[in-house]
Amino acid sequence: MIKNTAPVLVSDPKRRNFLKTSGALGLAAAAGGVSEIIYAQDKKILKIRTYADMRSLDPAYSQGVVDEEIQSSIYSKLIQYKPGREWGYELDAAESIEQVDDTRIKFKLKEGVMFTGGFGEMTAEDVKYSYERILDESLESTNTPDWGSLKEVTVDSKYEGTIVFSDPYPPAWNIALPYIVGNIISKKAWEEAGGKVDTTTPCASGPYMHQEWQPKQKTVLARNPDWHGGVAAFDEIHIFPIDDENTAQIAYESGDIDCTRVSLGSVGNLKASPPANSTIEEYPSLYYVWVGMNVENETMANADLRKAVQHCIDVPSILQASYFGAAEASTGIIAPGLIGHRPKGKLPPEMNIAKAQEHLAAAGLSDGVSITLDVLNKSANVTTAQVIQATCAQAGITVEVNLHESGAFWSLGDSSSGERYKDIQLILNRYSMAPDPSYATAWFITDQKGIWNWERYSDPEFDKLEAAAKSISDVAQRDEMYRKMQDMMEDSGAYRFITHEASPVIYRNSINPAFRPDGLPLLRSFSSS
Amino acid sequence: MIDILKRITHETLGLFGLILVTIITVCAVLANVIAPYDPIALNIVDRLQGPSASHWLGTDQLGRDLFSRVLFGGQIALKVALVSIGAALCIGVILGMLAGFGPRWLDNIIMLFFDTIRSFPTVMFALATVALVGPSLSTVIAVIIVTSIPNYGRVVRTQTLTIKSNQFVMAERVMGVSTMRILFVHILPNVIGPLIILASMDIPTVIALEAGLSFLGMGVKPPTPSWGSILNDGYTLIRNTPWPIIAGSIPLVLITLGFTFLGESLRDLIDPKLRKSL
Repeated sequence: MIKNTAPVLVSDPKRRNFLKTSGALGLAAAAGGVSEIIYAQDKKILKIRTYADMRSLDPAYSQGVVDEEIQSSIYSKLIQYKPGREWGYELDAAESIEQVDDTRIKFKLKEGVMFTGGFGEMTAEDVKYSYERILDESLESTNTPDWGSLKEVTVDSKYEGTIVFSDPYPPAWNIALPYIVGNIISKKAWEEAGGKVDTTTPCASGPYMHQEWQPKQKTVLARNPDWHGGVAAFDEIHIFPIDDENTAQIAYESGDIDCTRVSLGSVGNLKASPPANSTIEEYPSLYYVWVGMNVENETMANADLRKAVQHCIDVPSILQASYFGAAEASTGIIAPGLIGHRPKGKLPPEMNIAKAQEHLAAAGLSDGVSITLDVLNKSANVTTAQVIQATCAQAGITVEVNLHESGAFWSLGDSSSGERYKDIQLILNRYSMAPDPSYATAWFITDQKGIWNWERYSDPEFDKLEAAAKSISDVAQRDEMYRKMQDMMEDSGAYRFITHEASPVIYRNSINPAFRPDGLPLLRSFSSS
Repeated sequence: MIDILKRITHETLGLFGLILVTIITVCAVLANVIAPYDPIALNIVDRLQGPSASHWLGTDQLGRDLFSRVLFGGQIALKVALVSIGAALCIGVILGMLAGFGPRWLDNIIMLFFDTIRSFPTVMFALATVALVGPSLSTVIAVIIVTSIPNYGRVVRTQTLTIKSNQFVMAERVMGVSTMRILFVHILPNVIGPLIILASMDIPTVIALEAGLSFLGMGVKPPTPSWGSILNDGYTLIRNTPWPIIAGSIPLVLITLGFTFLGESLRDLIDPKLRKSL
């Protein structure tokens, strides 16, 4: 039988190919390759870009929106931001939550919200631990201001508790409960870990678990099979830190990522000829960009010099050159649509060289002065810096631009990272924002000097206003107070407000993205279409 | 020298290289005269224009004339190349001759220094240095000098070791001639030929390194024009206009070709094994 059939087999090309393929597959299977290929093809992976690398998985040390995108995917909160064009929230771990009076919020947890790693069910004790540890001075959390006047969390039963504030704190609903400090961690897990974690976490309770972090390359989240909310949409989420938006766009076009914010300069071309199976959307941004001046620096301590610099900066030219005319000039740090937004700043956006020279003369610097401008090495920033350099030169101010890569830049003003903060003179900065004015002003109080307050601006009246404005329920009164704070910032000469930018995003039609009203992704709510 | 130049002009590629290098060098040196605009003068109204009679290579995102920036960028490129290679050559020659002619222990110390430097990948070393001390032209030059010294030093050391055992050197020593005279009058002329070839081949590498660091924002500071920073601007604007990328690329390609052809011709002429016409 074999003898008869063998020649036929060899001469039959289809059979021969089949045998070859089978042989190759057999070898690959023996090496473990086939199972891997099939597994990879079956996986639903969301690949997304963030503008910076992950810094911490501990809500106490979260460094802003990038860490929060990851943390909000792996931890649960009582409430989460609701995706859409209007600000709002939806229940997450809470079955119910209610403001019972000016200083108390009562909540009841859903039963069966489990922590991974065998750390059991989420209880009100975990909520108490998670929130109160942020206030612990020994922990030196960078996010303490987010909790405002939080006094304590009382545990009323296994699932019920009361969040108690010493003063009314309306921002809790906007920037605390659904944001960084609202993440609930396992008390047991954290205590076993020594009270804090860095870039690994002992457990998760959200739709995804932290699986891997490759510094400066990617963070991988994997589906949490025990998530209380059902089945997470993706097997894995791969988060790639890509500083530059143009690089991110190239990564998107080459299929390496599924969703990214793109540069304002690209929007026109993308709309004219969008990549296949892609959607471009534009969201108003809450980011704020400004030029800060270090009031404690020997040179910049001169208020007249600071005011001269303010008058030298021509915002319309910056918007045209760096933002392709697609962004509006800002009047402060609070974006339009939020309480405290100033319709008009005290300084016009346009430069005024004559006034700058008057201030220079008053500063005793009529012959000119040389100062430095520290900038994150990103195309829009470098362009902005060069516009500032050129316009300052018209008044006799020589600006030396120092470019920094991301890691070096974000440690510049941090007084715990060395003495470099003292050398800052001018700094072009950009902060993210949550939808409450207190989130903008919180970083400029005296206590934030050397943390996020790189201008080292300090005014007791500002601090008092900042503390008071957070605890007032009257919207008109709050509005007035926040406007006054921005007036004070501007009057100090330490700030020149530039823009709030805009958030254009592009994503594949194979996914259903979920964005906050300001265009930031809510990864936990992404799904495949 | 004139003889070598004459011979280069008889080789097609050598002549082509010489012409390219001469044109680029003259353009860079005379940039102040040739450039139609101030390379750092902003004119935002005329930003991102294509080539025209008034702007031969168009304008960048700040309305600066790209042709003028390319010309002035040549000054930076050549300054970096000549200063850093010149300094590295001088230091490398001295250290190489000392290692080759000096006592064994000195040779060991110098070779350890060379090996230590060579163990760092140049680009990584440059990035680390810039991250520590901040980006500037002098930082770039310093990095290139330090990383290039072993290249020249090793060649000189090997040549010196070979020459020092020659009879004419031994005769000089017997006659009581000073070490300095032996090194600079007898050994140096014999090692300088290969070094010139090496240096001419290194120039495009150094220019590319400077451009690479400037592309990454770790080279010259804004608004100083550099071919690398022009490329960086072009890269970010490539969807709006291709001209900045083209403007930044052309001189890099031409100068690389020019110095490579010139270096290869020099090698063919100076190296006796490859010299065909003699």
